[in-house]
Amino acid sequence: MAAVDAEAIRELLERAFPEAEQVSVEDRTGTGDHFQVTVASASFDGLSLIDQHRRVNDALAEPLGDGSIHELRIRTKTKGRA
Amino acid sequence: MKTLNEQISEVIEREPVALFMKGTPQMVMCGNSQRALSALRAVGAPVTTVDILPDPRIRQELQAISGWPTIPQVFVKGELVGGADITEELFESGELQRKVDDALGAEREPDVRAVALELA
Repeated sequence: MAAVDAEAIRELLERAFPEAEQVSVEDRTGTGDHFQVTVASASFDGLSLIDQHRRVNDALAEPLGDGSIHELRIRTKTKGRA
Repeated sequence: MKTLNEQISEVIEREPVALFMKGTPQMVMCGNSQRALSALRAVGAPVTTVDILPDPRIRQELQAISGWPTIPQVFVKGELVGGADITEELFESGELQRKVDDALGAEREPDVRAVALELA
């Protein structure tokens, strides 16, 4: 499967979370298929952890679905939480 | 024979704690599956594991049922808890322990067993 670069992942996340205080993407292995993403957004306030992660997964549905992301680690932060 | 979808649904509904993973507890094939398994073991949860690797249809059917795109997936009493990151985060905050205690009671046998699905 085609690898995807961290910048493309970041763009997808920034489009899905325009209000986010932080969007960071780390290519963990340098191979364009193992990513650590962190999203800090007030829109997560009041959502359960699983619903926060669902929103991140939904934003990245395309690269997840076509197999270009092999591994995705997610860290979400609500506004009140570092 | 039951369909894969039916078999997966049964595991989710019947098993107190179900872990869909890559490999088996004896031979874990992915670091994230290991992270989820370790967190569940650390809270003394009985874990029933299903290896998704033998057939790609297992993963497809599971994803259709849960709406969750990645492996591993942890279910407690039929409810999706999440993947490795959430399971680990809930373990670190103590919430995984509470969740498992609430769902299963403090008295439980922390067995880990693997079940295999029947493939057509």
